[in-house]
Amino acid sequence: MADDKDVLRDVWFGRIPACFTLNQDEETEREAEPYYLLLPRVSYLTLVTDKVKKHFLRVMRAEDVGEMWFEYEGTPLKWHYPIGVLFDLHASNSILPWSITVHFKNFPGQDLLHCMSSSVVEAHFMSSIKEADALKHKSQVVNDMQKKDHKQLWMGLQNDKFEQFWAMNRKLMEYPTEEAGFRYIPFRIYQVNGTHTSTPLILESSQGTEKRYQVVIHGIEPLMETPLQWLSEHLSHPDNFLHICVVPAPSD
Amino acid sequence: MKPLGGPKDSRGGTATDGDPWKAHVLLQLRRRDREQCRRFRDLVCAYSGLLDKSGATDWILASGRRGAVSPSRAQLKKAAGELAYQVVERQQQMKMQDDVLEEQRDRLLQDERRLAGARDLRLQLRLRAERLGERNGRLKAEYDALMERQGRAERRLREEKLRGSGLLEDVMALKRQAAARLNQRNHRRSRAQDVNLQKELQTAATSQVNVDSSLGGARWRCLALKKKPAEKSPAEIQADFLLLPFLRSAPASHVSPRIPASIRDLFERRRGRSRPAAEEEEPARPVRVPAAARVPGRALHVLEAHEQGVNAAAFCPSSALLASAGTDRVVKVWQVRAGALRHQTTLDGSTEGLTCVQFDPTGHRILAGSYDKSALLWCLDRPVAKLTLTGHGRKVTAARFSRHQVVTGSADGTVRMWDLQRAACVHLAQASSFCSDVVCSENVAISGHFDRKIRLWDTRLSSCVRCLSAQGKVTSLDLSADGRHLLSCCRDDGLQLLDVRRWSHRGAAFRAEGFKCASDSTKVAISPDACFVAAGSADGAVYVWNVSAGNLEARLADNHSASVSAVCWSSSGEYAASVDKKGRAVLWSDL
Repeated sequence: MADDKDVLRDVWFGRIPACFTLNQDEETEREAEPYYLLLPRVSYLTLVTDKVKKHFLRVMRAEDVGEMWFEYEGTPLKWHYPIGVLFDLHASNSILPWSITVHFKNFPGQDLLHCMSSSVVEAHFMSSIKEADALKHKSQVVNDMQKKDHKQLWMGLQNDKFEQFWAMNRKLMEYPTEEAGFRYIPFRIYQVNGTHTSTPLILESSQGTEKRYQVVIHGIEPLMETPLQWLSEHLSHPDNFLHICVVPAPSD
Repeated sequence: MKPLGGPKDSRGGTATDGDPWKAHVLLQLRRRDREQCRRFRDLVCAYSGLLDKSGATDWILASGRRGAVSPSRAQLKKAAGELAYQVVERQQQMKMQDDVLEEQRDRLLQDERRLAGARDLRLQLRLRAERLGERNGRLKAEYDALMERQGRAERRLREEKLRGSGLLEDVMALKRQAAARLNQRNHRRSRAQDVNLQKELQTAATSQVNVDSSLGGARWRCLALKKKPAEKSPAEIQADFLLLPFLRSAPASHVSPRIPASIRDLFERRRGRSRPAAEEEEPARPVRVPAAARVPGRALHVLEAHEQGVNAAAFCPSSALLASAGTDRVVKVWQVRAGALRHQTTLDGSTEGLTCVQFDPTGHRILAGSYDKSALLWCLDRPVAKLTLTGHGRKVTAARFSRHQVVTGSADGTVRMWDLQRAACVHLAQASSFCSDVVCSENVAISGHFDRKIRLWDTRLSSCVRCLSAQGKVTSLDLSADGRHLLSCCRDDGLQLLDVRRWSHRGAAFRAEGFKCASDSTKVAISPDACFVAAGSADGAVYVWNVSAGNLEARLADNHSASVSAVCWSSSGEYAASVDKKGRAVLWSDL
């Protein structure tokens, strides 16, 4: 269906303009220019910020460089959340571009996971896929896949290859025709306080009164009557989870 | 871990394009992209480019500052040398590359030329293919046309065959009718004969009682037998009489048709044996002795001989019998006795009218030609045809005896010679013109044709030996008794005499005021001594010319009411006879 394919494309190619600036406290040889980048929503921060790192390292002394981490308005950004989720959760109502501060020291170990190479991201991504398939098909599909199929999924994400990724991901989105859909829908719900949960969340249906929360997926608010199965098939992130952000409605 | 409630089915009913939620999602995604992405894309790209450039200048500036102090003159020189060497090397490489390029260009040119050649060839081939295609089309059309023609021809063949079989059936039916008629007539005749025989036998039986005891009676019987002209020997008569008592005892109705037949068969056989002997004596037959002909002057007997027109008449060699053949399909034989004609017998068997008639030299057989494309042969004592000679394509106009053969001429333009023993055609002569009459002499046959030719045939070779022109369409021919003079009648109302041995016309044509040749088959006669010629005219008169004087000897009118179709002269020269188109026959003599 043309529309469904368009949705998949729009989801995959969703971009967020971001402005990286070096933290004021970092010691530099000279003043560092800010770095602008369009971040893919479905990817992870540490996968796409090689250029940022290279840019800022020019002005840094080598001995001062520690592990790079990012922060927005005082909140350290967890690299293992998809970029889109980070934006929707923390900055959905801020002015674009999203201004991210880059740190090279004082790594907040209690808030963030270490990420020394992309293999860590790959391990995290694959475990998410397996978890999701366990919910959807009792892991049958992902277990039937070969090593190279797993690699294809990962390379598709890493190199931003839509066709390559979906050629394989399609299998994960299928379900037996005799059944109405997946066994369970894998999803995660994020709230402003910074935790994510998979437990049911009761949204007060505040009809008539003022709306207090926004339910945001990929930067949009789907209608409440949208079928969950369809949402899962089309609006899931590459890790096969439906990442839903519940954020306070803008006051204005 | 159950997900939130909500519509579970995703593809079944909800996947239609008209779903508002789906449209909403699409719309929101588009808006998101417009706001967050597109607006900044160019900006980000431009900034990155700018950043890269400024970074590069920084680096050059930095390196320039650093390198300005260090390099010595020698190093620079060395670097310059190296660069010069590199330049030379590059130039060489460029030259080589140019060569390679040139070569490739040449090859390209050649290839192009070959390509052009191949294109030409292809064009030619295509033209040829088109031509061939056209020719094929034409051939196909021709073939179709031929097929159609063949189909039509076959259909016609079938139709013709059908028609042929229909015609055959018609012919068969006609033949059957004719046969039935013949049978009926035969039956009637045989019954009449039976009755006659019965009567004769009865009288004979009564007379036998008187004669039986006396010798004088026997003598009387012998005398009575001698009086009869029949060829029965006394022994046969004896057998006849001896048989009678036995036969009488059987029921008459059963035996009577068979007895005469058996007795006749007996006679036939006897006669058959004796006939060759008679024919061997041919040179001595009385016919050949030319008697002085007398000019006919008076009609001895006028009678209505046939129901329809009479086409031909002929005397028998002994002059005692006259045969006439008519359109009514029969030959009638008349006894010429005491200046009168008495009907003796009627011979039938033809399915159409008869055209000509002739006695054989012994006077026992009669030959006649018929419109039914055949010639018929009778023996005088049997009214049923003995032989039917078929083979001509049109009516038989002339049939003549020639020693052991029979020669017939037909309207189909052929002259055929028949062997009577085998009853088969032995020779066929093609004249390619309507043959109107034939006469025969020793080993030759002379035929007259409508193409104004008189042809002489060798009957042994069946080839045309000589040919002579006449003045018009030849209607009939007649040969004198000695076979030297041939009389021909033409449609120009003139009779011409021909010397057979010299094969030339003798004198002028015989003509007369008022004489008009009535038809294409008008038959004329020459007297046996070749002194007179006679012909019947369209006005019903008979004209007689004197041969030696060439003048008209007599004009005999008032006895025929229609055109005279034939005239004949008896071999003794005593009588002449003429017949006309209304069935009348007239016997003439000088008395």
